[in-house]
Amino acid sequence: MERFDPVCSVVLLERLDTPVTRFILSYPDFSHLFRAKKQRVPCFIPEDAALASVGILKCDPESGLLVSESTILAIEELVQACREENDGIPVILVCGPKCVGKSTFNRYLINLLLNHLPCVEYLECDLGQTEFTPPGCVSLMNISDPFLGPPFTHQRTPRKMVYYGDVSCDQDTERYIDTVKYVFNSYKKEVPLVINTMGWVKGVGLLLLIDIIRLLSPSHIVQISAEDFKDMPQFTPEYIHLTAGLHTKGKLQATCKSMDMGGTENWQPCEGERDFQTSTPGHKLLCVKPKFPGAGDAAKARVHSSILRDMAMLGYLGQLQPLETRSVLPLHSLVPYQVPFSAVALRVIHTDVAPKHIIYSVNASWVGLCRIPDEVRCQTDGPVLLTQTPVCDCLGFGIVRGVEMEKKLYHILTPVPPENLRVVNCLLLGNIAIPSCVLLNQQGIEGEIPYVTSEYNYQISGAGKLKVKKHLQRREYNRP
Amino acid sequence: MAGRSVVAWRGKGEWDQVMVGLYGGDGRLQQHALDRVSAWKSRYGQRMPLAVDCTTDLIRCKILDVSGNVSSHELVLSYGLALVRFVNLITERKQKIFYIPLRRLATEMNIPVWVVDLRHDLTHGKLPQLNACRKGCDVVLEWLRRTYWSCQLGNNLSGECEEEQDEEAEMTAATETEMDSDTEEAQDLQSQGYLKDKEFHEKVRNVLISFRNQQFGVFKEFQPFGKAQKVWCNPSSEVEWILAQIKDLVQENRDAVAEVLLEDGFLIPTVEHLDTLNIKSDENKELLDIPQLFYCFWQPLLKGLHSQDFTQALIEKMFANLKQCSESSELRSQYLINWIAEFLTASTKVKARKKMESCYQSQKRKLFLRRIPLQWLKLIDNCLGAPCWATPHLLQLILTGMEPPLPSDTQKNLLYLSSIYTQEGSSLSSPGSSSDTRGQPIYTIESLQWKARQDNLAKKQGQMAERQETVLGGGKGEGDEEEEEMETESPSLEELLHPVNMLAVAEKRAALQGSVWQISSDEVQWKDFPLGKLPGQADEPDGLMVEHYSVMSLIDQPMTRDERHSPSM
Repeated sequence: MERFDPVCSVVLLERLDTPVTRFILSYPDFSHLFRAKKQRVPCFIPEDAALASVGILKCDPESGLLVSESTILAIEELVQACREENDGIPVILVCGPKCVGKSTFNRYLINLLLNHLPCVEYLECDLGQTEFTPPGCVSLMNISDPFLGPPFTHQRTPRKMVYYGDVSCDQDTERYIDTVKYVFNSYKKEVPLVINTMGWVKGVGLLLLIDIIRLLSPSHIVQISAEDFKDMPQFTPEYIHLTAGLHTKGKLQATCKSMDMGGTENWQPCEGERDFQTSTPGHKLLCVKPKFPGAGDAAKARVHSSILRDMAMLGYLGQLQPLETRSVLPLHSLVPYQVPFSAVALRVIHTDVAPKHIIYSVNASWVGLCRIPDEVRCQTDGPVLLTQTPVCDCLGFGIVRGVEMEKKLYHILTPVPPENLRVVNCLLLGNIAIPSCVLLNQQGIEGEIPYVTSEYNYQISGAGKLKVKKHLQRREYNRP
Repeated sequence: MAGRSVVAWRGKGEWDQVMVGLYGGDGRLQQHALDRVSAWKSRYGQRMPLAVDCTTDLIRCKILDVSGNVSSHELVLSYGLALVRFVNLITERKQKIFYIPLRRLATEMNIPVWVVDLRHDLTHGKLPQLNACRKGCDVVLEWLRRTYWSCQLGNNLSGECEEEQDEEAEMTAATETEMDSDTEEAQDLQSQGYLKDKEFHEKVRNVLISFRNQQFGVFKEFQPFGKAQKVWCNPSSEVEWILAQIKDLVQENRDAVAEVLLEDGFLIPTVEHLDTLNIKSDENKELLDIPQLFYCFWQPLLKGLHSQDFTQALIEKMFANLKQCSESSELRSQYLINWIAEFLTASTKVKARKKMESCYQSQKRKLFLRRIPLQWLKLIDNCLGAPCWATPHLLQLILTGMEPPLPSDTQKNLLYLSSIYTQEGSSLSSPGSSSDTRGQPIYTIESLQWKARQDNLAKKQGQMAERQETVLGGGKGEGDEEEEEMETESPSLEELLHPVNMLAVAEKRAALQGSVWQISSDEVQWKDFPLGKLPGQADEPDGLMVEHYSVMSLIDQPMTRDERHSPSM
């Protein structure tokens, strides 16, 4: 022990072999997940031998975590602010376009803060790349342990969560704002808060981000953007104060507009506007320029975001595996929960489904297990369909394993503990599907598997999904 | 064809129902299909196949139109958007890096150019007349049916099952009559194909019947003098002409000719035919022999058709037929086996003759004079694919005739395996095989592995017990008991987990006391049912429909600004 001096780093390595990892590895698509890429090691330095034996090798400086000067400065300032709390408890909002290292910045910041504080709160507003939960939700987490790996390795139960039901909010930005507001209301302002935002910062996305900033009124904004990124202006306090968002108006506009508005348009965000205006005392802007190669270039991302989402869901479902056993139990072999049609309200969020065909949507689907304050009322013993999408607590997720039509029961597989499940009275079905590998790899099933076919031919015209080609070039491109 | 993928319908039945519903012309069924597709849309989200989206949009327009509640201007707007979306979205996928003009893409995809012009008018020009929109809608729906619906999910494969073909032909015919007359020119190529197929089969059948009649005529005339066989061997000019016709048909489609030949009444005799020929049906059961008379009856035809391709095809068809045979058609399986044996023997004999260069002649059987290289490996596959009591024998014939021959130990192993496999559980009766091999247990690889594990365990247990015995001196019989226990214990995963599971389940159950949420029955063998399926749940397309439902609005929720309209209830 005396060989270690005070500035030594001690790295504790543990074998990553848990029921969750075993579950993920049981899917052929991901079975190679932890297999290291074979690399030739040109020169072997003897002192590395011990490390090399556990797979730790020296990398070239470029392939490590590159922390730019501006990043270090920003983090130092934020850590300082959180330790001193001179100007109240910091609320740090991190924003920037896709693939500039927002998540990495958050992790780095939170892990450093945890050196000084017992815990930090984290508000996840990025529906597509959620850090601690399956995709499609806004959540508030209390973080007391550092986190290092990709999201699927640290699925945690949030303090507050709302299932929005899509990986992008562009179809219903108002409900997204309502959702963020609802979750944010649970923040008690006792410990510093780090807010992660979406990478959608162009056009409507930018306006929406301005709304979010007004709504959350952070004390610090960390604006990460690559050198040549022009679509995002600097979020100075003045800019935020004056610029109109999507659902909120800038200070100047608001005052002149409010006169001719009268009572004609009495819609939700206008009410919220009052909150916004009173609570914008100004923030400190910290600009961060990432320095790693490929920053801001989504095309260079190493893993496709939909794959990360699937893995986060697998990581979540892995919690269903019993802790005591070494072998992986296939999902379909587990004993599900059951609940009567009449006891839980149902809502398909992203599209209208003919009510009598609703079970065709629900069967073998991913559902948010939620709690609405209303009592579930029904006139028949059939399904109870909500007329609008509630913004309500989500306690976790499940797979509708089957629907018993005669007994009118949903059978649901979920890792949500029974004491939480008791209060679930609403199933929300969104635009997030069970990872296809879950349906495709059901071991030990003989005969046909529902929703799986080998006969669908994608080569036929119209067989594929809508694909939007954004950058179609015209040959006569020189026109204005 | 792509690999396995996840789709929104539970099975092909549901898909077919929706397709028939959409194109059937019955308004109620159309609405039903549209409603089902609304559920598909929720499953697919953004991955919904374009063609399904376009089809349902257009059909919605048609339903609006038929309802008579909407004025023509609104209808033009509805039709218009659906048509614009179709042209844009369906061609967009064909766009590469540089913009390709829509007209060119449409031509490549067989979309009428005037539909593209219609789109142009709708987006950039004067709003077209309702009639033009209606016509465009019908043409596009027909295009979608032809290029997408009819070709999807293996519907385009000229399936083996004739019934299905008939059904589909009928169905397409039915929709055709209901479609507007201007879509008639776009006749389904497929149904044409089916009709052609059917026609061709009929043609073959007629020619074969005339051959059969000729031969029966000869039989009636000459058999009383015992000369029928001789006359058959020297075909008359009529027979020669018939043979020429059949040869032409073989040229055109040898598979179809082989198929018809194997229908009842040709190479597979009916009881009546055998009666006419005075062949007792159980005469040859023991032997792998075609009755001499029956053999001679068909010999001229088979000899005439003998060719590398046809003989191979015929043998393969016979194996395929044999595979589908059940005990009920004993005559069929018997004759199939015998004919296969006959063909194989003939090939082998030719080989033998050639090799030995002797002038040995089988006096009676001269099926082929020319030796023809068969695809022996394929035949082995076919043979093993149609296991029956005669498989080892047929395999032996193949192995003998095979060129180049398989290594002798491979031959031996194959034969051995095939005889083990067919000893029991074959669907065919085995008049030839001895009965003492029956009743032996069947081993699968799993059961053998299990047995090996058990043996090992038992051995270890035995050793432990022995050791214990020596240490403790006594406790006799303990080892035996343990051994027995091991033997009865099932090694299945669930059993091993049982106590742990039970405990967890009990805890959960306690936590849910008094709640609407319960643990589902653990008596169900969940592992046997894939996600989305429950015990006793049939696959019928309408199995998940609900009759009643309640609608509930929320009190404490911010009312959504754009109060959404539910779809048709």
